[in-house]
Amino acid sequence: MLNRLYLLALFAVPVALVGCDSSDSDPIPDPVPDPVIVPIPAQTATDIEADLAVAFGPTGPQGRDLYTLYDLDAGEIVLSSNETDMAVRAADSASTAWDIGFRSTTIIFNGGISGPGQGSAQLLVDGFEAITEAPADGYLTDGTNGTCPEIQTPGGTFPGPPLAVCTGSDNGWYNYNPGLNVVSPLPGRTIVLTTGEGNYAKVRVLSYYLGAPAPEDLDPSEDPGRYYTFDYVVQPDGTRSFETTVEG
Amino acid sequence: MVLLSNSFKSFTQTLRVAGLLSLLVGVAGALGAPPSFGQSGSPSQSDETARPEAMPADTVRMASVVVTATRTAKEIEDVAVPVSVVSAEEIERQGAVRLGDVLAAVPGLHFFDDHGTGLQVQGFSPEYTLILIDGQPVIGRTAGTLDLDRITVQGVERVELVRGPSSSLYGSEALAGVVNIITAQPSSGWSGGLSTRAGSFTTTDVSADVNAGFDRGGVRLLVNRYASEGYDLAPESFGNTAPAFQDWTADLRTRFDVNDQLRLRLGVRATTLNQDGAFAIVDDGGTPDDLSDDIETRYDDVGKRVDWSVHPEAEWRFSERFRLRTTLFASRYQTKTRIRSQTDGSLLFGDDFDQRLTRAETQLDAFWGLRHLTVFGAGLSDERLGGSRYTFNGEQPVARQAFAFAQHEWTPSRLLALNASARFDAHSDYAAQLSPKLSVLVRPIEALRLRASVGTGFKAPAFRQLYLTFTNTAAGYSVLGSARLRDGLLQFVEDGIVAAESIPNLDGIEEIQAETSVAYNAGATVAPWSWLSTSVNLFYNDVENLIDTQIVAQKVDGSPIFGYYNVDEVYTRGLETEMTVRPLVPFGFDDTHHVEVAVGYQFLQARDPAVVESLERGETFERLTFPEDESGITRVLDRRIDASDYAGLLGRSPHSATLRATYRHDPFDLDVSVRARHRSRYGYIDLDGNGVATLDNEVVNGVTTLGSEFIAGHTIVDATLTKGFTVGSTLTTLQVGIDNLTNVTRGAFVPSLPGRRLYAVLRLSL
Repeated sequence: MLNRLYLLALFAVPVALVGCDSSDSDPIPDPVPDPVIVPIPAQTATDIEADLAVAFGPTGPQGRDLYTLYDLDAGEIVLSSNETDMAVRAADSASTAWDIGFRSTTIIFNGGISGPGQGSAQLLVDGFEAITEAPADGYLTDGTNGTCPEIQTPGGTFPGPPLAVCTGSDNGWYNYNPGLNVVSPLPGRTIVLTTGEGNYAKVRVLSYYLGAPAPEDLDPSEDPGRYYTFDYVVQPDGTRSFETTVEG
Repeated sequence: MVLLSNSFKSFTQTLRVAGLLSLLVGVAGALGAPPSFGQSGSPSQSDETARPEAMPADTVRMASVVVTATRTAKEIEDVAVPVSVVSAEEIERQGAVRLGDVLAAVPGLHFFDDHGTGLQVQGFSPEYTLILIDGQPVIGRTAGTLDLDRITVQGVERVELVRGPSSSLYGSEALAGVVNIITAQPSSGWSGGLSTRAGSFTTTDVSADVNAGFDRGGVRLLVNRYASEGYDLAPESFGNTAPAFQDWTADLRTRFDVNDQLRLRLGVRATTLNQDGAFAIVDDGGTPDDLSDDIETRYDDVGKRVDWSVHPEAEWRFSERFRLRTTLFASRYQTKTRIRSQTDGSLLFGDDFDQRLTRAETQLDAFWGLRHLTVFGAGLSDERLGGSRYTFNGEQPVARQAFAFAQHEWTPSRLLALNASARFDAHSDYAAQLSPKLSVLVRPIEALRLRASVGTGFKAPAFRQLYLTFTNTAAGYSVLGSARLRDGLLQFVEDGIVAAESIPNLDGIEEIQAETSVAYNAGATVAPWSWLSTSVNLFYNDVENLIDTQIVAQKVDGSPIFGYYNVDEVYTRGLETEMTVRPLVPFGFDDTHHVEVAVGYQFLQARDPAVVESLERGETFERLTFPEDESGITRVLDRRIDASDYAGLLGRSPHSATLRATYRHDPFDLDVSVRARHRSRYGYIDLDGNGVATLDNEVVNGVTTLGSEFIAGHTIVDATLTKGFTVGSTLTTLQVGIDNLTNVTRGAFVPSLPGRRLYAVLRLSL
């Protein structure tokens, strides 16, 4: 058996080499540039507040439990977590203009239990750039995700909140390191979502701290948290592709 | 197995001592002569009345007696588990003053800097290695670290290290290994000594000892002062990396033989430390780049430590076959930390810690005949914690423990020795543990010894894991130790700060378990000639029930309440090997010139199986961060990593090596010793939240990415030159030494690497 495998390997090597040669064999460029397919350039939203701490009581940093709602198509905040007028909040959150909402480490989408829009999402295990097309299915609206890890305690097991992107360290988009007291966006986690209007978009969180300091410069005792900086791409034409065609 | 004690100066002596002891305990036992306790001496003491002529030279060539591995005196070669020994001779030759200096030269050991310098054995953090003085534990750990610099090696006869678990004999903490410091017992006649050492950073070590030995008894008193002005590895910030300190140790050893059967021993040890450090907290005014508005507040950081132990022991040899040893042990460890503002003296942080251990144990050694030796033991202990840290509703933790152990050694023939042992530990605050172990030694030919063992180790939950009640006022979360979980949660519920839907079923709370391991060690020693010995050991430690924090409940505001549970698993595996050679011996040049070279190497993998699984499923990525480009944009790239990129748990070097070369010239009483130790790079932080260290300033498309999660590999070289003179009856030794010859530092990341240090030593023996 071993001998046969060995023989097989001997044959496989030259075949692989031939394969490489043939693919590299035509280096002459086309005289007339064809249209080329390129990724849609990513936008970056910086320092989006997400229920900033207003007090440090005996139970720690406390916000007001309010979301910041963000419109990816327009690239602007629809409703800030700093807005405390409940009438304004009710009006703004009832619109389909916003796509994604942030409150502390929780992220919501405009659909299901979170809003009136067509928003849904899924967390993909892949690099942001590598996702050139949104998956056809697998999207969940907030309130319908039954796969979030349960919280195990010796006193019982509790279901995780059924949001499209699960909460908790290593369950969703972030890792919390208790030793360093740092929230880090998990590399290789990309949120693909449908917006309030039903377009496809992808989001990658870059930082949870004001000014998005590089990880080795981050000091959680100095740099305030609950500020999102994230990359995103929206495909406005309703297709699932995150690429576009430009003249070569 | 690694042997460091085979020094030239003491070679003849070792030969004599070992000759006797191995004759009595080990080799002769195998040859068929019934060993008898009446002659073998107490385990912590060597007799010097042997006649080496009785032994064929190559039977005892590297012999040395050890007690830690089996709780009975045994020739190191006959121990079935990996053991290293560093003799007083070698300690002196290396110019070592603290325990860390001694262990630095032992292959496969590394240091962990976390609230002191701790020891890493077979890839385990410091809390998994038990440290003993004459078989009784040294107490007082901070964050699991027992600072090796706390322990002077003056007045020490030898240091033994057993690798792999010995919980079957010692219980908790003996999971990765056991370090046992054997003190020198009073010798006969009057003698005294003075040793002074001075070196870089105004570091001084002064010891004086007096010894009086009589027919039936003896007393030895040692006083040691170790002090330094500290050093600074980060001059740009205020305050020293290592603070100034003065450390005192007083050590008294007495023995009294009531008669031939009853021997009494008393050991008393007391140490104090005063430490004066300082540091600054800088408020950057919200503008990290603008230094002009920075406000620096300076603080004094003052620490005090007092610890002592009293260790009386009675040994009753009530027949040729039975020996009973009863030990009482009491020890206390107290620390006091105060951090005060230099401007107004206000207290920023204060902490008091007080740990008391009282223990009584007794051990019966039964020699049934030629081939069977049984050890029975049992004991009780009481541990109390004081100070501010673990007080709960005004009460201080009190823990009680009872234990019993047994070991049987069977030597069916000279080719084979078997050892089985087990220990049962019952504790008031965690689940009872049973720890068995089995080891076997095979000697197919005289030059070859094969060893294999399988054993279990355990480590009790740390004090914080049992007794902590802590709320982080800045971050909001709370942490409750397992012994406090129920009452703490009830308190929180009563205070109305627990979210109603998250209140767990308090009746379902399970008792916390100790962290446990199953370890396999297998190896061989080949010593074909008296001048060459090679040993190799393969190890595998499978650890489960590692304790970690888990969320127990949520507060009304969403912040978590953590408890401690047995959740995690890790394994460490690898290979340890050492070769010792005396190259001049085969050429017959060994009469006045002695050269010995020992080379050690360790390969280590310390891994979390859950991480390996995640890597194999392709779910783990690293985030490369590029420096800002011209347009001021910082780019990142997420890249999938696989199992081959896994560098293991933080702080573990996959490769490490040691070299020890010594030259001795007898007529000049001159010793030259050079030691080098290398460790490959190791992870120290997780910057990108993926749970593994992979980022290391890699160059991608010609651009150097930001951030390294590693400490670069390094090689440390130490050297000493020692010259002895005899003036009348006074033996004078002069020594000069240099530590860290090539001045390797890793800044504040590795505070135990202070750069090059020079020192000189003067020793007088009267």
